[in-house]
Amino acid sequence: MGSTATGARPAKRPRLWKRLPGAFSRQLLDNPVVRKELRGRMRGRRAFVVLTAYLLFLSCFTSVLYYTYATSAEQPYGPDSYLIGKIVFGGVVGAQILLVIFITPAFTAGTISGERERQTYDLLRTTLLSASRLVTGKLASALSYVVLLIVAAVPLESMAFLLGGVALEEVVISQLILLVTAVALGAVSTYLSSRMRTTLTATVISYAFAFLSTAGLPLLFMIFLPILGFVSGGLYGVQEPHWLVVVTLIYIGGFLLAINPFSALIASELVLVEEQTVFFFSVAMPVSGSPYSQIWLVSPWLIYVPFFALVALLAYWLTVRRVRRRQR
Amino acid sequence: MSAIIEMRGLSKAYGNRRESRLAVKDLTLSIKQGAVFGFIGPNGAGKTTTMRMLTTLLEPTSGEAWVAGCSVAKDPRGVRRAIGYMPDYFGVYDDMKVWEYLDFFAACYDVPAEERVGTTGDLLELVDLSHRRDDFVDSLSRGMKQRLCLARSLAHDPTVLILDEPASGLDPRARIEIRELLRELCSMGKTIFFSSHILSEVADICTHIGVIEDGRLVAAGNMEEMQRRLRPQRAVRMRLLGEAEARQAAKEALFHLEGVTDIQDPPDAPGEIVFDFGGDDANLSAVLTTLVTDHGLRIVSFSEESSGLEDVFLQVTQGIVS
Ligand SMILES: Nc1ncnc2c1ncn2[C@@H]1O[C@H](COP(=O)(O)OP(=O)(O)O)[C@@H](O)[C@H]1O
Ligand SMILES: [Mg+2]
Repeated sequence: MGSTATGARPAKRPRLWKRLPGAFSRQLLDNPVVRKELRGRMRGRRAFVVLTAYLLFLSCFTSVLYYTYATSAEQPYGPDSYLIGKIVFGGVVGAQILLVIFITPAFTAGTISGERERQTYDLLRTTLLSASRLVTGKLASALSYVVLLIVAAVPLESMAFLLGGVALEEVVISQLILLVTAVALGAVSTYLSSRMRTTLTATVISYAFAFLSTAGLPLLFMIFLPILGFVSGGLYGVQEPHWLVVVTLIYIGGFLLAINPFSALIASELVLVEEQTVFFFSVAMPVSGSPYSQIWLVSPWLIYVPFFALVALLAYWLTVRRVRRRQR
Repeated sequence: MSAIIEMRGLSKAYGNRRESRLAVKDLTLSIKQGAVFGFIGPNGAGKTTTMRMLTTLLEPTSGEAWVAGCSVAKDPRGVRRAIGYMPDYFGVYDDMKVWEYLDFFAACYDVPAEERVGTTGDLLELVDLSHRRDDFVDSLSRGMKQRLCLARSLAHDPTVLILDEPASGLDPRARIEIRELLRELCSMGKTIFFSSHILSEVADICTHIGVIEDGRLVAAGNMEEMQRRLRPQRAVRMRLLGEAEARQAAKEALFHLEGVTDIQDPPDAPGEIVFDFGGDDANLSAVLTTLVTDHGLRIVSFSEESSGLEDVFLQVTQGIVS
């Protein structure tokens, strides 16, 4: 009993890059969970109703934005199409982020707890389906619908292209931020779904997380801002703060700014316009006494994307660990 | 024939460190390949807990178990490949068709896509659901759902089936269908380990039984052995012609015969005598010969009271269930 075969040497595992396509296929393409979820999601009317409602909402929103601006802008040479393009684009992206925040938890917070509620969770866990395939399948199929929603709005964004004023960089950065937001919220909600007993609790906590990490952070930033102002106010006061304090505060403030989708988007846009870059830039050191004359900064999206990618990875890893574990 | 399921000192305590109670206590049991093992015990005895430990869902507090040579603790994938598990609930997706349900689980068991069509067809045939292939799982009756779940547990052609109360909550007809299915699976060479708290449905299909009571295995063995071991005294009932004197004479005669104990007049049947006998068939036949030829008793009927499994069960668990 329990003795292992000693005769045959285990076959050598092929190199990682040779295993990768097979692993990718098993995790995503040839994953029974993906097939089942997609079939279930696309069955019936719900998926199409949600998609239609979403696009209708976005179109109305865009039209209102366009007409409000076009009629109210009292420029001598008529409305500036370059600016309208930017505003329409920004409006669509902002609305998309809001919708991603609303829709992603709803689609992912029930993935694991739903299996538990239908009493199929233990059945799945006694099959040969690995925990990672189960979690990946659940997450990927839920997110694929969210991605469909994002992609479906691209034609609306392309309206902004016709009006001009939107660069390719802006499109890529905004879509990247949207995607990472969806993936991170999805992964965290899936983790909560594996953690909580019921879908209801998982959904409530997922929304709490979604709103705290988007609306809560700006609040934190607003609390933080006066401190920054107070310290930099020292510039005009009697005492100048130490340059290290100022630099630290700028980095902390910048970080808080960068891990919020709305402010990260706006700040990245500002950096693009003012500094003409999507990556690194520097500003002059605001205080004296420092050996450096400049402070190096990065465009906020470069913080946002890796940060939430890490959050997503961590949540994914925790979920897989949770699903793999036996009940104690 | 070797043991395909082996449990050694398996225990499970629920609860935290300060307040825990043992649901399964030091369970040692081995089940032979090809056996139909009925795991009997009242509700809360620990049957489900034992099965969940065997199916790698629940971490044992102590002890070890092997299924088909694979350690439950160290090689859960090997164990999962070997077993088909049907819990005491259905576990169905309401938005799935019958064939999709089977196809999904077959895929989860790594059955290649090109084989799955054939497999699901065969399974539906086996459980007699081919005509409901394209219906939604939700629309099936309880009995049909149970058969579908049995088919699901067979998707990867496992050698061992672990079925938790396969017949509970079913009407008599569905119960018989499940029983027939189990018989068929047994003839296909599968080892079946199933639990029940209703004995009568177990009796005629099991080759072996184990009785669990309050987490402890109180008896286990093959059917005949169990009946013999648990009931060394066979009750014999006889009826004879004549009045009270004849019965008195018979009792006198019985009293002096070896192996006869506890001679009684059953209150429910005047004119009959019931006694316990502690010997084998040859001895019992000798008793009858003696009564007829040596004592001249006019015996009308002489038969052994069948000791049903229900009696075995009551006898085994008496005093423990309070
Ligand atoms: N998850 C659990 N947590 C705590 N106690 C449990 C749990 N599951 C079962 N028990 C207890 O363990 C005992 C055995 O339960 P179970 O194995 O379900 O019995 P059976 O299946 O024989 O009816 C019962 O007393 C039950 O209350
Ligand atoms: Mg039970």
